[in-house]
Amino acid sequence: MADDDRLFANIRIVLLAVTAVVQTGLNATWLVQHQRDYRPAWVENTAFATLALVTVVCAVWLLRRRPLPAPVAFGGAAVVLAASVAATAALPEDGFFLDVHWSFGLVGWHLLVLLVDRLGVLIGALAAHGVASVTQFVLVGDHDRAEVGGAGVVVLSVLGFQAAIVVISLVLRRQTGLAAAVAADRDRIATRAALAEQWERDRRQTFAGQLGATLPLLVGLADGALDPRDDATRRRCALAATQLRRLFAENDDVPDPLVHEVKACVDAAERRGIEVSLAVSGSAVAVPTVVRRELTAPLVVALSHTRTRARVSVLRTDQEVRVAVLADTDPGDGIAPTSPLVRVECDTYGPRTRMEARWKPN
Amino acid sequence: MEAQLTAVVVDDHPAVRAGVAYWLGAGTPPITVVAAGEDVRVAWIGDGATADVVILDLHLGGPTPALGDLRRLVEAGRRVVVYSMRADDDIALTCLELGALCYLTKAEGEEHLVEAARAAGRGDPYTPPSLAGALAGDRSDHRPALSARETEVLVEWFQSESKDFVAQRLGISASTVNSHLERIRIKYAQIGREAPTKAALVARAIQDGLIGVEDL
Repeated sequence: MADDDRLFANIRIVLLAVTAVVQTGLNATWLVQHQRDYRPAWVENTAFATLALVTVVCAVWLLRRRPLPAPVAFGGAAVVLAASVAATAALPEDGFFLDVHWSFGLVGWHLLVLLVDRLGVLIGALAAHGVASVTQFVLVGDHDRAEVGGAGVVVLSVLGFQAAIVVISLVLRRQTGLAAAVAADRDRIATRAALAEQWERDRRQTFAGQLGATLPLLVGLADGALDPRDDATRRRCALAATQLRRLFAENDDVPDPLVHEVKACVDAAERRGIEVSLAVSGSAVAVPTVVRRELTAPLVVALSHTRTRARVSVLRTDQEVRVAVLADTDPGDGIAPTSPLVRVECDTYGPRTRMEARWKPN
Repeated sequence: MEAQLTAVVVDDHPAVRAGVAYWLGAGTPPITVVAAGEDVRVAWIGDGATADVVILDLHLGGPTPALGDLRRLVEAGRRVVVYSMRADDDIALTCLELGALCYLTKAEGEEHLVEAARAAGRGDPYTPPSLAGALAGDRSDHRPALSARETEVLVEWFQSESKDFVAQRLGISASTVNSHLERIRIKYAQIGREAPTKAALVARAIQDGLIGVEDL
């Protein structure tokens, strides 16, 4: 829409310049030449000064490339129309629509300057100006056919020219509107494409991140750098298997995703022959995927280090979501993943390790 | 309690009845199962009518829990241990409100059942870990206010299933863990509908100085 604004600021300045030039270059000369013909002349001079003042006032906004405020535009239009009527009333009977009637064309320009942003009002004001002038013309004595014809030509040519400017500004406005819409569309499409690309990239990265220990483990096994008979390797396999089970459960559409993921971890551990007792309490609350990932991370680690049995619990109170595991583990295996989202505690009590992840919604 | 405790087992599975009878009889001192059956009538007639403790399965063949049976037993002053398949917090809390001395899930084994039956024989509540979880996760408006330590005990007990571990974690003795659990149950006995077992619990708590009359 910035293009639109710039274009219209220019149009307004051009109209202002035309008005100023017409008034000072053309009309001032006629006013001076016909001073003796007006009845009285001071009315004409006052009207001229008033119109000049309106131009100056408009310049205050328009030269700073700002549209006129509504009170200025409407007040100005009323003043201009009044000046026109007054100036027309002081004309000699035979002076209508000739040089001596300098105000007729000039007032149209003023109305254009004042109301170019308010098309409906502008057309109304121009029509009112035309009708008022013609009415005043008709009211002042009899006119022969030549006079009426001459007046008609002048009225039509002046108002027609000004109407043409109105039409041009209308067309320009529509074209810039269209151009702006097309540009906005193009921007929107570009943004959507960029977003889709970003999402795709993020997804790849996240998945690679979520695969966690799996990729290096597979590489190690394939290279023969890791011995499958080694306890440490087995534990890494257990960790990778549990991580993968949790990851597969992550996108399932279930009413209670957190418990679903916890159960996936427990299931992976039970397949290794570990006795797990799982308890869930408190009603389900919505937990964002990232938070679920972090709440279950300590569980995954603890279960992969468990030797024979573990107690896993999920508790949802009115304040917190707590995922805890108490397991018999090999000493020195305590790994405490931490994150800014959840609080993780890890303690060892002899042969037992306790890990707990806690999350406070909001 | 010189006389041997007696129990009646109401469960629609014969294997469960036999298992419960075996567990209760194998403890020291043993608890004698004097009657067992698939219908709650067994607790009202014959030997079952005078048994000290009722072990009640909530789902007797039908889909709806036998809460009405529980209420009638409790109103008659019977000491009931609910023994259920379902680990459902709401049902557990409802059973406590009706006046059951314990809500035990079948996933929780022998040790808890024997302890629960023995406590019920004395008229005492027993809070197994799953029930502790239900109490800790209780979000109802009328739940009693628990102290921070009481909540900690509930959560730790739920998470570890081991009172020794709770005691070790919190730096208190195992008997203190028990008295915290008991005090929590007394707080729960003071809310909701009235029942003889609940009233007896509160009365004894005052006698023992566990709570004061002004706490009521």
